Amino acid sequence: MRRADQIAGVIVLVFSLAVVEGGRRMPPSNTFGPGAGFLPVCLGVVMALLSVLLLVNAWRQSGEAAGRSPFPDRKAMLAIAATVGAMAAFILLLETLGFLLATTLLSGFLLGVIERERWLTTALVAAGNALGLYIVFQILLGVSLPKNLLGF
Amino acid sequence: MEIFHNIQMGFQVALSWQNLLFCLIGVTYGTLIGVLPGIGPVVGVAILIPVTFGLNATTAIITMAGVYYGAMYGGSTTSILINVPGESASVVTCLDGYQMARKGRAGPALGMAALASFMAGTLAVVLLTLIAPALASVALSFGPPEYFALTFMGLTLVTSLAGESMVKGLMSGAFGLIVACVGVDAVSGEERFTFGNIFLLDGFGFIGVAVGLFAVSEVLCNLEESMEQVFIQTKFTLRNLFPNWQDWKDSFWPIWRSSFMAFFLGNLPGAGATIASFMAYAMEKKLSKRPEQFGTGVIEGVAAPEAANNAAAGGSMVPLLALGIPSSGTSAVLLGALLVHGLRPGPLLFQSNPEFVWGVIASMYIGNIMLLILNLPLVGFWASLLRVPYRILMPLIVTISAVGVYATENNIFDMWIMFGFGIIGYLMRKLRFPAAPVVLGLVLGPLVERSLRQSLTISHGDPSIFFTRPISAALMIVALISLFAPLVRGVWEFRKKVVEIS
Repeated sequence: MRRADQIAGVIVLVFSLAVVEGGRRMPPSNTFGPGAGFLPVCLGVVMALLSVLLLVNAWRQSGEAAGRSPFPDRKAMLAIAATVGAMAAFILLLETLGFLLATTLLSGFLLGVIERERWLTTALVAAGNALGLYIVFQILLGVSLPKNLLGF
Repeated sequence: MEIFHNIQMGFQVALSWQNLLFCLIGVTYGTLIGVLPGIGPVVGVAILIPVTFGLNATTAIITMAGVYYGAMYGGSTTSILINVPGESASVVTCLDGYQMARKGRAGPALGMAALASFMAGTLAVVLLTLIAPALASVALSFGPPEYFALTFMGLTLVTSLAGESMVKGLMSGAFGLIVACVGVDAVSGEERFTFGNIFLLDGFGFIGVAVGLFAVSEVLCNLEESMEQVFIQTKFTLRNLFPNWQDWKDSFWPIWRSSFMAFFLGNLPGAGATIASFMAYAMEKKLSKRPEQFGTGVIEGVAAPEAANNAAAGGSMVPLLALGIPSSGTSAVLLGALLVHGLRPGPLLFQSNPEFVWGVIASMYIGNIMLLILNLPLVGFWASLLRVPYRILMPLIVTISAVGVYATENNIFDMWIMFGFGIIGYLMRKLRFPAAPVVLGLVLGPLVERSLRQSLTISHGDPSIFFTRPISAALMIVALISLFAPLVRGVWEFRKKVVEIS
């Protein structure tokens, strides 16, 4: 946790300084009172101070909790990475594959590969899920979901 | 009496067949969300925003409010039967509820939980009916400095109580406010942090951020551990569900005491249903003649927290409707939903949209009756849902979230926002940064900024304006106390215990 807090503190510090710099570049108000950059600069300064506090606290941390990593083991991290990757692929391919196909593939992947459900259950749940969402959103709510070149 | 006139008008709105139907859908879905572990009311409401996007605002908010208090009913079922809270406000219910189930008294525990929820929920709506309009009329005289002080106080209270570390809570809140700055500045028309991306001109879409931060990150966290649970087999018959005379004698006063305490606690920013349920349990243990038996399956240990979480959920509607200030993560999402529908909650809402406000309030009376019916005779059905393994739910949550986010604007970019904030949300959870303040900051950001800049324009840049007007000064002092005084440390230590136990 100590290591994680230190890294988080540094990242937030850099982020908040970037916010301050971005806010400072915004033009001042042309009437009375503060301009567009006023709040971002204030927030950036507050955030920077807080991240320094976090770093100080992290340095003072000790004991058993300080040494433990907050992240899970390799196997779980792999499952998380695969889920994140599958979601990214889904968003990228949604308009090419069309809603029904992309959603069936995503739910099938998550259930069959990541959760290791039996293939028959996986296929039924995946197809049923895509169809159910299609009925709710496209037919009942009138949203036009993406279609592929074949028209579904 | 004006209030009778108003509530009558509310019932006319709430009793239309469409609103009744959606109220039923909301409370049923809320019970489901409450029953299923690993998905709570914040996620449930966030997912519903896009689905209810096409409805009119009153119907949409009736549905979403129903999810919020419906989840409070459902959560107890899971706590009692499998010793796992269905949502965080039912954590304490596990202590005595599960012990009652082990002694073969699952029926009365479930029955008392539903009845206590109903009594508390109804009391909360009555108090809401009386207090919210009064508070709104006081707030009518608020100018920009009062609004800034009010939002500032809300943000500091929520963020300083939201997690294990006050510094991290405040960082989350500040991050939410920074995210709110993205897009075209409403005052000057200046583009801020858009990096030339046209989709960012309107800022980060609220729905994408909320769904990513709560639903997606929740799914990623749950991948780490197996969610399969052992299920206690119990027979459910309606006769078995009714608590006996002794149960009533033990629970009657704890229910009312906890409800009143939790309702007013729910009014305050920062103290949501979870804290209220813990405090109710602690209070009853202190007042009880048999404190040593708490934790072994006493019925008031179920009745008090279940009453408290419902009363607090109702209580949190007061500042939301009357002031436009959310007091918890779920009500922040509700506020976001109101804004999506073009309504600005606050004192003017009672005058400009009375049929909306009173329609929603009246629907809560009806919703509580629906929930009593759903949760008493049908409790066996909800219990059987616990046999659906979480691994089946996970792909459903992911795809519903993604499609819902897409559906609001027919826009792939919003799905990327969800994706990005899903990863940010996961990292925040792992590093123990609370997520609720981010959403609160994002929702309140525009109001904070406008009132701050208007105030400083009025005073020609002199910040003392916040301390020379009495209401504003009082609110600012509360905010500063919550940040600095050791007085808060008591609450703080308590909150820490809450986090440890949960």
